[in-house]
Amino acid sequence: MTRSSAIRDAMLKRVTELAVLLFAITTLLFFLLRLGGDPAMIMAGDEADPEVVALIRARYGLDQPLIVQYLRYLGAMLTLDFGESLRASRSALGLVLERLWSTLLLALLALLITAVLSIPLGAWLGYRPDSGDRKAVNAVVFVLQGIPGYIAGLLLIQLFVVELRWLTSIGNQGISSWILPSLTLASFLVPKMVRVISANVSEAMREDYIRTARATGASGPELLLRHALPNALLGATALIGTQFAFLMSGSLITEVIFAWPGFGALLVASVTRLDFPVVQAAVFVIAVLVFLVNAGTDILFNLIDPRLRRQTT
Amino acid sequence: MSDTTTSSRLSLLPRLRLWRSGLRGDAMLFAGLAMVGVLAVLALTVGLNPPREATTGNLRMRFRPPGTEGYLFGTDQLGRSVAGRVGAGMIWSLGIALVAATIALSIGTVLGLVAAWTPGWPRRVIRTVVDTVIAFPSLVIAVTVIALLGRGFWPLAITLGLATWPIAARVVYAEAMSIARRDYVVAAQLAGVGPVTILATHVLPALRPTLMTMFAFTFADMLVAESALSFLGLGVPITAPSWGNMLSESREYLVEAPWLMLAPAGAIVFAVVALNLIGDGIAANARKRGRAAM
Amino acid sequence: MADTNTPPDARTEAPLLEIRGLRIGFPRPDGPPLVVVDGVDLSIRQGEILGLVGESGSGKSMLALAAMGLVPAPGYVMAGDIRLDGRDLVTLSEREWQKVRGRTLGMVFQDPMTGLNPVRSVGALLGESVRRHQKVGPEEAAAISEAALKAVGIPAARERLAAFPHQLSGGLRQRVMIALALVNRPRVIIADEPTTALDATIQAQILDLLRDRLHEAGGLMITHDLGVAAEICDRIAVIYHGRIVETGRTRDVLAAPRHPYTAGLLAAVPRFHGRGTRLIPIRGAPPGPVSERVECSFRPRCAKAAPECAAAPALEAIAPGRSVACHHPVAAAPAREDAQ
Repeated sequence: MTRSSAIRDAMLKRVTELAVLLFAITTLLFFLLRLGGDPAMIMAGDEADPEVVALIRARYGLDQPLIVQYLRYLGAMLTLDFGESLRASRSALGLVLERLWSTLLLALLALLITAVLSIPLGAWLGYRPDSGDRKAVNAVVFVLQGIPGYIAGLLLIQLFVVELRWLTSIGNQGISSWILPSLTLASFLVPKMVRVISANVSEAMREDYIRTARATGASGPELLLRHALPNALLGATALIGTQFAFLMSGSLITEVIFAWPGFGALLVASVTRLDFPVVQAAVFVIAVLVFLVNAGTDILFNLIDPRLRRQTT
Repeated sequence: MSDTTTSSRLSLLPRLRLWRSGLRGDAMLFAGLAMVGVLAVLALTVGLNPPREATTGNLRMRFRPPGTEGYLFGTDQLGRSVAGRVGAGMIWSLGIALVAATIALSIGTVLGLVAAWTPGWPRRVIRTVVDTVIAFPSLVIAVTVIALLGRGFWPLAITLGLATWPIAARVVYAEAMSIARRDYVVAAQLAGVGPVTILATHVLPALRPTLMTMFAFTFADMLVAESALSFLGLGVPITAPSWGNMLSESREYLVEAPWLMLAPAGAIVFAVVALNLIGDGIAANARKRGRAAM
Repeated sequence: MADTNTPPDARTEAPLLEIRGLRIGFPRPDGPPLVVVDGVDLSIRQGEILGLVGESGSGKSMLALAAMGLVPAPGYVMAGDIRLDGRDLVTLSEREWQKVRGRTLGMVFQDPMTGLNPVRSVGALLGESVRRHQKVGPEEAAAISEAALKAVGIPAARERLAAFPHQLSGGLRQRVMIALALVNRPRVIIADEPTTALDATIQAQILDLLRDRLHEAGGLMITHDLGVAAEICDRIAVIYHGRIVETGRTRDVLAAPRHPYTAGLLAAVPRFHGRGTRLIPIRGAPPGPVSERVECSFRPRCAKAAPECAAAPALEAIAPGRSVACHHPVAAAPAREDAQ
């Protein structure tokens, strides 16, 4: 199989997944919304005037048969028309997109921190997994893995904001306000990535090719950096996609804790206020983002993994 | 071909990967079981029958620090016993996680085995659904569905279970496929043993350590997810003393009463570490046996 | 380049690689260490290939790894010395060893499928070793690497530098492995079962290549296959249960094995001529490693076992360049009619 056709197949699979996902989620939301009560009542509020409710019903086509509503709704989704926010009288998609950069900024910072912390630590742990000092660090990593990210966030606030008063914990007010939210979001990933990388490195260090490299005179650091780590990291790139999805889950909580102006906090707020156009737009944007990251990872993996290169002999 | 490479490199969850911590399997398992034992005893005593101080406030006793006479972890903003509330919250937090993990593993095991045993469209459909759902942030789905279904023990447990089964299905599928390729299974097939008998006598026993490991890890994940949702205000009813709710309330009193945060946070970390110890202990022992058998 | 035309007998200089009284052990928590190589003496001269023949578990691979300073932990060299050009290697520090490995000692491993790093190109693997040991720039390293690939018979060597191991066939990969061992022109090349993982037709080609390249330096060929040893080795040492039981020139050993174990091995080798000769397997299984030996290790399997075999025999010279460790060696007369 050639590289380009491998990439094409992977993309086809990802696009199918995206289509299935969007269809399933929009359908689920549509029917759950009707199941949960009269949408017009929900939009108008509990104590609304019956006339207002009737107006809303007519305006959103809620007086039509369910199947007509569903087909209209699907059509609107296809044209990316999510409607207006029920609270802000603005395009729901626009509301989400204007918060896109804040969320991405946080996600990128968290990924950067994760890489900077977990690659060296994982490599060091995996290089000689049985030595005494590493056992102690492994035990620490093990406990850290048991601390959910949002608890880590609360602990960070307790320490740096409440006790030491070094940093703020509210919103995006410049670089110093980025530190705690991005550390919190990174704490969702770091223990897991340390374990994955150290497992990959210790596995690679037991491979035959390491012994071959040793027989050519390679020193310990050379074995690790030139021979074991590239293999270990190559294996870890395959996890970027799933870890990004996990990161999006984490950003919901992190953004709420730190009142970060991203779409995660917007989604949570809209869900609590039952502002469904915004919920749908946010879910759509998240789905597309996850798709783009997964597709990008697939392409990257195909480009950098020499084992997927075409046989020439 | 891209199908096989993708599945082989994504088939196992990172946590089930070979991880040599240098820690001994038996020691981890023993510590984990002891910690879970403590939790179980507390849940069945304090949890099912919380003391009066946990439910009824005493406004003259607000914000007493830990160690105050009769209040191990102090009191909260309404003068209720924090220790008592953490105990009472076990029924919510551990109960929901237990039900959700059971749902996820049951569905996942059945569909994973179906996918492994029925080539053709059932496998394709299951794998597409699994890949799709896994790629999507599960908390986003859960948040949205909970908002529509309403709060409560069962909506939360069911939603979390339904959002999580694909992970179990993928692990079971990958593991079952690798068991099916083992020599003794192939030999049994060639000898004309029926698929159901093979499943019962060869595959399920070989799958047991994987299932037990996964149950422990999923239980821990569900505990974290439940408390996260409650923390966001989208979990159990606001008045319920779940650990996530307690954390959520504690945020307003971080300055004057940090123990309000530390007590439920400690409970969550204790339970998660205990379950991870059990999961990793089982996995380490299974690996050791696997190596010894080779 | 060494003169391959001179007959081995004409070389009288001191051995290149000399192993004396080598013992390798693995510590046990509950007792003295298990000894896997027990007092082995070997020597290899310039231009000579020595074949170390034994079953798996005989300690032959451990001996090869010891010569490279690569005994896997917790195993360790308990006693003896390994001299290369008169310099003792056993006492080297790890840093000093790194200057020897790949430079004065090269090693070829058994499995070329797993023995080459999948994410490094052939040129990167070779170039790394060249630049580690020789003070050259990247271009010159590439030229040296290319020459090494040519020397092991790889066509289109320049293009192959950019190839990754999985893009090559098994035979080519093993040639790359050999190129990796000899790229810095080592004094001694150790080959551990270099043809075992290959197809029969490829085996013959690789053996031809090894015969030529190993004769240019000194060669230690580790194999379980007397036939392979007969193909390319000048001398043979048979190792059983961590001890050398017989040594001698290849043709002498094959023509008239003196140790019952060697005779047994030879009787178990299929031959194309000598029709109707039955292959006779050696009965029983080799013993596991022990801490201390009393009797001759081969005694339980030996047809000629006698009461005095309760004391382990020493390796004693019975003719110039010929030694055997046995109380009742096989008669010096040709053991088989088809032996020449």
